[in-house]
Amino acid sequence: MPQDMPPAGGYDAVQYKRNLPPSAFKPKTLLAFGGLIMVYGWYHLFHGIREQRELAREKMWSRIHLIPALQAEEDRDLVRRHLADVQREKELLGDKAVKAYHSDRYVRPTFAITPGKIIKD
Amino acid sequence: MASRIPQFNQQVLYDTTPLPDSIPKVKELGASSAPLMSAAYFIGARCRDYNDDFMQCKNENPGKGEFECLKEGRRVTRCARSVIADINKSCLEEFRKHWTCLEDNNQQLWQCRPAEWKLNKCVFENLGLKKEIPDQPPNVTPVHLRKQMIYAHWPIPRSAEPFVPPTQTGDNNKAPAAASSSS
Repeated sequence: MPQDMPPAGGYDAVQYKRNLPPSAFKPKTLLAFGGLIMVYGWYHLFHGIREQRELAREKMWSRIHLIPALQAEEDRDLVRRHLADVQREKELLGDKAVKAYHSDRYVRPTFAITPGKIIKD
Repeated sequence: MASRIPQFNQQVLYDTTPLPDSIPKVKELGASSAPLMSAAYFIGARCRDYNDDFMQCKNENPGKGEFECLKEGRRVTRCARSVIADINKSCLEEFRKHWTCLEDNNQQLWQCRPAEWKLNKCVFENLGLKKEIPDQPPNVTPVHLRKQMIYAHWPIPRSAEPFVPPTQTGDNNKAPAAASSSS
């Protein structure tokens, strides 16, 4: 019985490489492309942040112009309530009213005392 | 938790006792936030001195400013009130358009440039007040005069023209100086 022998001319080369088509862009091109997109984005980001800062400044100044008026209104209300409190205290305690704080500073009251009888206008 | 009764301090904190007669009365501003924001720069332009006086007084009387600065506060309120009254008198339509726009756009000034330019023009022509942002960096168009707003929802129509007050160039350098000296 004849022995199994390699085919005439030997075996074909073993295919260990993948025969994929080469990619359309080289890695360097892809990197440069991505980089360009990033630079474009950064360019817009730069201008966007600048504009944001300017807009923030505009808003801050509009508030700065308003603060005194708002604060004045608030202060007047606080003074009004404080004087009303003092008056009520005097009516209740006479001259025995004691200062709550050892200081002349105005302290915004923690608890608001509201009058029992509310006059709504 | 769901059964907790909500407490609104606006109802609890009623106290209508008026100020004593020794303190002169003044009518409050009576404008809500959008009109105030719309008029802020004009208030700043006319009432700068009063505002600075008031803030200086508050600064010099820490802890007592509420009582010491009532007079300055009345001046501030009266001045701001006069500005709003004047705008209402001569530029009511533009003013209303601008602040409704602000109201509709989360009070973002950059959404309402066309309306703002019209208001600025009207106010400058009638009251002589102009909007100027202090400490403006040089060589840059002030942000409220740019024809393109990056963050606006809609592009500014081409027909809208920014209003530049006539003496813009001369005052550009003056604004930062005034701002730094008054602080």
